[in-house]
Amino acid sequence: MKNFLSLQNISLDLDNKEILKGLNLQVDKGEFIAITGSSGAGKTSLLRIICGLESPKEGEILLDNMIIFNKGISVPTEKRNIGLVIQEKVLFPHLTARKNIEFGLSKNSSNESHVDEILHHLNITKLANKFPHELSGGESQRVALARSIVMKPKLLLLDEPFTGLDTELKSNIYPEIQSILKNNMITSLMVTHDLNEVKALSDKCFNLDSGKLIEI
Amino acid sequence: MFKFKDLNIWHVLILIICSIFFIPLIFIGGSILFGINENFYHLYENLLLDYALNSLYLVLGVSCLVTILGVSTALLVTYFDFFGKKFFQWALILPLAVPPYLLAYVFTEFFDFSGTANVFARNIFDLQNDVAIFPNIRTITGAVIVFGFTLYPYVYMISRVALMNIPASVIEASILLGRNKIFTFFNLSIPLIRPAIIAGLALVAMETLSDFGAVEHFAIPTFTTGIFRTWTGLYDLTTALQLSTMLLLVVFIFLAIERNSRNKIRYANSNYENNAYKPIQLKTYKSSIAFIICLLPVFIGFILPVLELINWATQIDNIFSNKVFTAASNTLFVASLAAFLTCLLALFINFSVRSLKIPQVFNDLLSLGYAVPGLILAVGITQMFTSIDFWIANSNFFITGSIIGLILAYIIKSYAISNNVLNSSYAGIPKSVDESAQTLGANKSRLLQEVHIPLLNTGLLTAFLLVLAELIKELPATLILRPFNFDTLSVSVYLLASEERMFQAAFPGLVIIGFGLIPIYFLNKLILNKNN
Repeated sequence: MKNFLSLQNISLDLDNKEILKGLNLQVDKGEFIAITGSSGAGKTSLLRIICGLESPKEGEILLDNMIIFNKGISVPTEKRNIGLVIQEKVLFPHLTARKNIEFGLSKNSSNESHVDEILHHLNITKLANKFPHELSGGESQRVALARSIVMKPKLLLLDEPFTGLDTELKSNIYPEIQSILKNNMITSLMVTHDLNEVKALSDKCFNLDSGKLIEI
Repeated sequence: MFKFKDLNIWHVLILIICSIFFIPLIFIGGSILFGINENFYHLYENLLLDYALNSLYLVLGVSCLVTILGVSTALLVTYFDFFGKKFFQWALILPLAVPPYLLAYVFTEFFDFSGTANVFARNIFDLQNDVAIFPNIRTITGAVIVFGFTLYPYVYMISRVALMNIPASVIEASILLGRNKIFTFFNLSIPLIRPAIIAGLALVAMETLSDFGAVEHFAIPTFTTGIFRTWTGLYDLTTALQLSTMLLLVVFIFLAIERNSRNKIRYANSNYENNAYKPIQLKTYKSSIAFIICLLPVFIGFILPVLELINWATQIDNIFSNKVFTAASNTLFVASLAAFLTCLLALFINFSVRSLKIPQVFNDLLSLGYAVPGLILAVGITQMFTSIDFWIANSNFFITGSIIGLILAYIIKSYAISNNVLNSSYAGIPKSVDESAQTLGANKSRLLQEVHIPLLNTGLLTAFLLVLAELIKELPATLILRPFNFDTLSVSVYLLASEERMFQAAFPGLVIIGFGLIPIYFLNKLILNKNN
């Protein structure tokens, strides 16, 4: 599907500083887009705008042919069905890894087997009953990734999600993630500094510079 | 930044809650519009100067005593190692569990002509039965001693934390520049912790001015006893409200001093890395002197009253009388209900500030209630309720004298405690956790129920226990707002003490102190964490 995600003329000011200036982006369904750029360029802000955690000054966002943001409409984050994985620790500390992954799902047997499948693909089955404080940084990241993917989101946003994972582990899980995302036709946008990640996962790559995206 | 267009149902709800908190104060302040009557003239000509001077003497005397006791003990346990230091680190806070009115009752009996102290002194020195070594305690000096030994922990705690925040490098720099330790302590440490001492003193002054039980028992005319007598003796609520307005203005001046000093504490500590000064080992007689200096306030403020109360309680046959049981169950019922509602309100407001873009200023405003003296709050709530009864029930007492007023007063008085605990508990939950829940489809209600509440459960329990302990010892608001024939532990102690039935009052007094130990446990944990 063409233009599954469409960002039109997005502008954002933060602390009286213009971060994004009339930014445009079109992403097709199932595509994996990587976004690079210098620190403070506004990459994270762009992802937060798309999932609704921040509101742009102006512009329009369409997802799956539905307006999720414009001057008069702002669909709440929890109703956008957009997953977000960030580099910080964001697991719920009072829930086990499995309960964290199940948090966004309704309770039924098909969901349970789906969770098992994701646990297996991301090689974290053994961690299912551990609490976040018992996990290493890399393990926590994989659980956070599993938690978002299991929701089968329309769009998955990844903000440097593999920071903290060792090189060997990364090279093992890239194909697994790619296959999960492609099989479920999950459209993804990833912010990263790592060019190896860009090469391994993305279909297209953009550089965010001076508030605009330039394809590289 | 909050914008007017963001106004929603939550804002309206919180505005209503703020109004309920502030209407009693508006009724008090509004009393000045009613003009001055002959009772006020009578008070002005005969008593008002006494109220003002006695309150001033009390505040000045208590401030001097708590500074000496609080700062000296804080310096000793922070900068020196001596025999018993580990015990005193936590024991010095114990007198906070004893409400001033209880110590006043104990001291009155203890230092009475036929009390334990004089009997003991006569036996020791083999004196005649008509000789009294200890003078009458029912004086302003006696009240200063009572307040000083129960309230010094405020200054001790805040000074101790401030001293622990001064890094070793600052003290060592002074010593390397040729200054001795005594010069360094007095010219460096004390000026650095001065804002902390002032903040502690402002709290002590507010507590002293707000007290009713101790000054009433000592028959010292102050603003609080004046308000009470004008209302219950002259039956003049308007003049009582006008006196309350005057006292409230003074209390708010101390509140402003306290807030201002707290900001300076943050500023004073901001440039330092925390690396505490290594304590100096005291030996022989110096260690004994330090031990005695620290023992004195703990002994007078806690050990002595507790031992005397135990002594009295053992001298009656049935300490678990029906009356005590009823008062204890009434106390637990009303204090638990108010503590539960206070925590619920604090949770709701803190959640609203964090997740619903409600401005923090609402939370700050609601927290001001702790500064309002219980007696004034009770007068304001009574006036508010009688006005409501006048409008809705044609002057029949419908809500006036019901338990609602008491619960409302408790919530207003203790909101700041539960808010402080929940505020710091919330600060420990990263905002990214909320955002994760949102991106996983959780709405606000699910975020609160399944993420925040489980993560805040320790904070909620702590807040509940702290509020409960505070409410169990509350006297003036309870005395006025309790429903007819509804005695609590503090009211029972007050009534029994006013009838000189101290043996009967001892057990309820001990229960109040027992509950008062709950916040001591948490405060000690806090200071020990800071120390580690």
